[in-house]
Amino acid sequence: MNPQTFRDRIRESIRDVNLQLALDNNATRRKDGREAAFASLPDYQERRKRAHAIKADIVDHLDETLEQFIRRVSANGIQVHRAADAEEAIRIFMDIVHSSEADALHGTKVNPLLIAKSKSMVSEEIDLNHSLEAAGCHIVETDLGEYIVQLRGERPSHIITPAVHLRRRDVGRLFEEKLGIPYTEDIPELTRVARKVLREVFLNAQIGVSGVNFGVAETGTLCIVTNEGNGRMCTTLPPVHVALMGMERLVPTLDDLALFLSLLPRSATGQKLSVYTNLIHSPLPGQTRHLILLDNGRSALRVSPLAESLYCIRCGACLNACPVFRETGGHAYGSIYPGPIGSVISCALVDPALASLAQASSLCGACKDACPVDIDLPQMLLRVRSGMSPQIAPHKIKEGVGIPFAVKMGLKGFSIAAGTSRMFAFFQTLGGLLCRVYSPRGATMRLPAWTGWGLGRDFPRIALHPFRTRWGKIRQVVETGSAQLAEKQVFAEPAAQPLYKSLADQFITELAALGGQTHLVSENELPDRLTEFLKAKSIEQVLADECGAGFLNGIPAIMKPDPSVKAGITGALAGISETGSILLTSGAGETLTASLLPEIHMAVLRISQLVPTLEDALRNPAVRVAASAVIITGPSRTADIEMTLTIGVHGPGELHVFLIDDSKAV
Amino acid sequence: MTETVQLFITCLIDSFFPQVGEAMVHVLNRAGVRVEFPSAQTCCGQPAFNAGLRSEAMALGRHTIRVFEKTAGPIVIPSGSCAVMLRQGYLELFKDDPAWLRRARGLAERVYEFTEYLVDVLGVNEIPASWAGKLAYHPSCHLLRGLGVDRQPRALLAAVKDARIVELPEGEDCCGFGGVFSVEHPELSAEFLKRKIANLEKTGSPTLVVADTGCLMHIQGGLSHQGKSQRVMHIAEILNHQ
Repeated sequence: MNPQTFRDRIRESIRDVNLQLALDNNATRRKDGREAAFASLPDYQERRKRAHAIKADIVDHLDETLEQFIRRVSANGIQVHRAADAEEAIRIFMDIVHSSEADALHGTKVNPLLIAKSKSMVSEEIDLNHSLEAAGCHIVETDLGEYIVQLRGERPSHIITPAVHLRRRDVGRLFEEKLGIPYTEDIPELTRVARKVLREVFLNAQIGVSGVNFGVAETGTLCIVTNEGNGRMCTTLPPVHVALMGMERLVPTLDDLALFLSLLPRSATGQKLSVYTNLIHSPLPGQTRHLILLDNGRSALRVSPLAESLYCIRCGACLNACPVFRETGGHAYGSIYPGPIGSVISCALVDPALASLAQASSLCGACKDACPVDIDLPQMLLRVRSGMSPQIAPHKIKEGVGIPFAVKMGLKGFSIAAGTSRMFAFFQTLGGLLCRVYSPRGATMRLPAWTGWGLGRDFPRIALHPFRTRWGKIRQVVETGSAQLAEKQVFAEPAAQPLYKSLADQFITELAALGGQTHLVSENELPDRLTEFLKAKSIEQVLADECGAGFLNGIPAIMKPDPSVKAGITGALAGISETGSILLTSGAGETLTASLLPEIHMAVLRISQLVPTLEDALRNPAVRVAASAVIITGPSRTADIEMTLTIGVHGPGELHVFLIDDSKAV
Repeated sequence: MTETVQLFITCLIDSFFPQVGEAMVHVLNRAGVRVEFPSAQTCCGQPAFNAGLRSEAMALGRHTIRVFEKTAGPIVIPSGSCAVMLRQGYLELFKDDPAWLRRARGLAERVYEFTEYLVDVLGVNEIPASWAGKLAYHPSCHLLRGLGVDRQPRALLAAVKDARIVELPEGEDCCGFGGVFSVEHPELSAEFLKRKIANLEKTGSPTLVVADTGCLMHIQGGLSHQGKSQRVMHIAEILNHQ
C-alpha cells in the first residue's frame, strides 16, 4: 500500500467520532478484561516464556512436526491437503465443493450450495468468500461479528472482534435494512434475530467451514475455540466439514495444548476458557472432514529474520494494547491482519507493499507486553523497517522501508553530522543561531504543519551553549554520606489465591460466575430433581444422548437431533474445577448435539469426576480416542456488539449441571 | 573510595536541555559519584535505527562504542530510550558481525539509566531534595517496558521533601513521540499526545516528571503549542532542586 493512502485512511479514522468511541471502548475494556483474567494465573510470566520456547521449537522443526501432525490427522480419517498459496487453497476448496455438489444432486438439497462458515482468519487471508460467491455458492458467516461485517459488505476490522468498529446503532440500522426487522438498539434482541436466521443456515448447509486454533502434532487433534457455538454447529451439522489452518499453528502435545489454552482466551477475551473448546479427531458417522494446510508465505517467513512472528496464536491482544490501533481501527491498515502483528506479517502473507505498515508504530512496546507468547514485536517491526522481510524482489527493498524521502534524507544528513563530535558541535552552534533567527524571543518554535512536528507541537530551540560547551565549567563537589542507602527491600508475599474447600466448591463458584448453575444432588434424588426441573420449565420432551437418556425417568427422550426440542440432557466425562467446565466426548451416535441445539443444556456429573485443571482433563485417555470432544465453559455467549456480553447465541443460553454428590461413597 | 562514572549525555539533552545534564552531574556528586564526560561522543544512532536505516545507525554505533571503550566504569544515561539503544539495540544492530557484537556486549554490560544506577547500583533511595507541590510521573515506554525500570524513579520521587506525588491516569500509554514516528505519522502522534495532556490535566499537577528526553521534548512541545501552563521536567532537575 502507498504510504500516503495509509496516512489518508488514518486521518479519516481519527475524524470518525463513532469509530473513535468504539475503539476507546474496545481498548479500555479489553485491557481490564485481560488483566483480570491473568490475575487468576500467578505463574503467567513463566507460562508465557514456556509457550515462547515451545513455539520456537515448533518453528525451528516445522517440517518434522508438520509431517507427524499430518500422519496422525490422516490416520484419524481426515483428508489432508496442503496448499502452497492462496490460489491453490481455493482450488482445493473448489474441488471439495464440486464433489459435495455431486453428492447433493442425489439428495434433495437446495441449490445453490449453502456453506456455513465459522470464524477463520486463514479464510480471510485467501479471500475464500469472494471466490466461492464468484463460483455461485452461498457462503454465510455465522460468527455474529463476522455475520455483521458480511452483511455490510466489509472485511473484519479485528482478528477476534470483527465488528469492533461498529456501535449498536450501526447494527440496528443494518438489521433493519437487510433483515427487515424493526429498528432496535437492544443487543440481546439483535443477537436473537441473528440466531434465528443463522439456525436455518446451520441446519441446511451442505458444507461447514472453520479455522483451527491449534493442531496437536502428537494426537492429530484439531482444536477450535468459539464462544457462540457456531464453530460447533459448522463442524458437526453439515455432512462435509472443511477446516482451514495456517501450517505453523501447531503444538506438540495435549499437555502443551493445555498451556496454550490457558493463555489464548485470557489474552483474547479475558476468559479463563472460551465457552466451547472443541477437540476434533475424526469424522462423525456419515461425515467427511477435510483439512487444508496453508503455506502462503509462511515457509519464507520461517527462514527470514521475522520467524518469531510465526509464534503468534492470533489472540488479538497486541491490537487491543496498541495505541495506533486505538486511533485507526483495523480497516485503515488495508490488510486483514491489522495492528502490530499485522504490520509484521502482512508483507509476507498478504502483499509485500504492506511493509510500510511497520512505520506506523511509536515502538512503545505495549504489544510485546501484551503478547502471551512474548513475541518481540517492536524488534520485528524494526526489522521490517530495515528491509528484512521476505520479499518477492529483494533487490527492490532498501533500508528504511516506507519512510518518506525527505525524512530519510534528513536522518541520513543528521547521521553524517553526528559522525564526529567536531562536526556535531559545529552544527549545534549553527542550529542554535538559526533557531534564534527563526524564533528570536520565544524559547520554542512554532513549525509549519507540513514538517509533521508542527502538527500540535512546538519545537525547542537548540541551546546556544550545549552541554558539551558547559562541561568544562561544571564544578564537581563529590559528597560522601548524604544520600540515603536503600534499606533492604522486603517484597510482599504473592497474594494468596482464594482457597476452596473442595473441588466441588470451586467448580460451583466458577460455573456460577459464568452464568451456569449447579444443582447438587444425591444419587437417589437425581430422577426426581430432573423431573421437577423439567416440570417447572414446562418441558415435555428432551433431546438426549445415550448416557443422558438413562437419567430420565419417564420423560420422553428424543435421540435424533431435533431443533424444536427445548432442552437436552447429557452425561459428562469430567468436570474441571479451575474453570467450571465440563468435558463431553462423542461416543456412539449423536452425543454432542444434545448439548448444542436446545436452548437448555442439562449435564449430569459426579463429584468424583471433577479434576483440578484443564491439563488433568486432557490427560483422560478417553479424550484422544473420541471422534470429537468438547469442553463447555458456561452458556453460549458473545460480546461482538460493543463488547457487551450477551448470553445465548447459537448454543444453549442455559447450562445446568446436576452434580451428584458421590464423595461419601468414594 | 569515590565511584567514577562515564556520562553519555544523549544528543537531545546536549543540544536542547543542557541544564538537565548539569543537574544530573550535581545529583550524582551528591550521591558520592564523580562524573567524567568523554567529549568525543555524539548520538547513539537510535533515530536512524528506529527508522530502519541500519547502515547509518551502525556508523554511529561504532563511533559510540569506540569512544566509550577508551573509558572505564559504569556508563550512566539520563534517558531510558538511549539506554535501551546502547544495551539492547546495538546487540540487534551487530548481531551478524561477531567482532562488533563482542564489543557491543562489552559496552552493554556497563550501561545504566540514571535512576536505575542510583537505586540499583548505588543502593540510594533518597536524594536530599525538596519540591513544593504536586508532581505527576510519566513512565516512559522504553524505560518502563524496555528496561523494566519503574520503581526506581518512583522511589526517588517519593523521597523528595514536600512533594505530593499524584498518579497519572493511563500513565503507561505512549506520549506519541517514537522518534521519526512523530513526524512521519504526525496525526497519530498528536492524538496520543492530546490524550497524555488531557490525563495530566486530570491530575491537577502543574509539573510532569519524566526520565526520558524524547518524551520531555514531545510533551513540553504539546503543552507549549496548546498554550498550557504545565511544565515537563526531567527527574534530575527535581532531584537537584533544594
